[in-house]
Amino acid sequence: MQIEQLQIFEIDNPHQVSSVEVHAQVLITSWVVIALLIALPVVATRNLQTIPTGLQNFIEYVLEFIRDLTRTQMGEEEYRPWVPFIGTMFLSIFVSNWSGALLPWRVIQLPHGELAAPTNDINTTVALALLTSVAYFYAGLHKRGFSYFGKYIQPTPVLLPINILEDFTKPLSLSFRLFGNILADELVVAVLVSLVPLIVPVPMMLLGLFTSAIQALISATLAAAYIGESMEGHH
Amino acid sequence: MNTLWAIPAIAEEAEEKGKIFDFNLTLPIIVAEFLLLMLALDNLWFKPVAKVMDERDEAIRQKLMGVRDNSDEIKKLQEQAEAILKAARAETTAELNKMRRETAASLDAKLQESRQRVEKELAEALANLESQKEETLRSLDKQVQELSDQIVAKVIPF
Repeated sequence: MQIEQLQIFEIDNPHQVSSVEVHAQVLITSWVVIALLIALPVVATRNLQTIPTGLQNFIEYVLEFIRDLTRTQMGEEEYRPWVPFIGTMFLSIFVSNWSGALLPWRVIQLPHGELAAPTNDINTTVALALLTSVAYFYAGLHKRGFSYFGKYIQPTPVLLPINILEDFTKPLSLSFRLFGNILADELVVAVLVSLVPLIVPVPMMLLGLFTSAIQALISATLAAAYIGESMEGHH
Repeated sequence: MNTLWAIPAIAEEAEEKGKIFDFNLTLPIIVAEFLLLMLALDNLWFKPVAKVMDERDEAIRQKLMGVRDNSDEIKKLQEQAEAILKAARAETTAELNKMRRETAASLDAKLQESRQRVEKELAEALANLESQKEETLRSLDKQVQELSDQIVAKVIPF
């Protein structure tokens, strides 16, 4: 299996063959994920009724789940504005992971590389982690102004280097946790399939579904926790 | 990791970087995609569904408040019913007592009447008996006189 990149376009003047590269397989699969995530509510909100049935029930359950997750981490007063961010985080990671595991990507042959979950690429996971970092910084600054930087010397100034380090380790751990889980699961399944294609990979695939769902939940919960923590201060 | 699958020295059109931590334009593109997706989901999913759910909660709360008011009315009606029942009960017992007293009085009167009658008849009967006794005594006396005369006549014949 090769994780390759596709040289999609070449920017800049013709004197310089400098090209900017993208991982096209990631973009393609992420577009599929986005299409799925937009199609679902468009179909389900067609005929909203007071007493929900079927698909409306499902999307209401998902929203309730996300709201509850956000509210648990951030508290009753401040969670409302952050529901879209945490919800998108959770849903995009969840659908990305499960699409990588469930959809038959192998059917589509690419000239270089192959299609898989978009979260198996370091760019995606680091992008999400950086977004989370920016989000909790913004939350802290917006809520508390420049006194937000006082949190670096809480509870004691001796911990200042550790607190600064935390600002780097948080996105690092977020991105690598997700990246490692998804990539490793895909590699294991690929190796098993190349060895014993029939029944043996199935338990590993099921485990992969379970852990990837957990990873989506963890990413969303931690993002909410970081945002909540930076908003609350130390009372 | 890509070095495990050795990239052939003959490079193709695509440059094989062979890095696992290969950061490129994909990263900001994903950031942009995420933000757009967030906007889209917020407007398509979170806002409409949240509206429906909150409206439903409000409607349920209104109905609950309505039900709570009804229970006060019910209590008032209950008290009214009980008051009516009590009044009715008191009325009937008063009526009953009146009836009872009236019948008792009439019974008493009848009893008196019959007692007097009985006494009168008793007195008459007694008087009757007395007069009969007198009469029998008188006739006895006469008979005794006659008998003694006969005995004397028989005993003293000569």
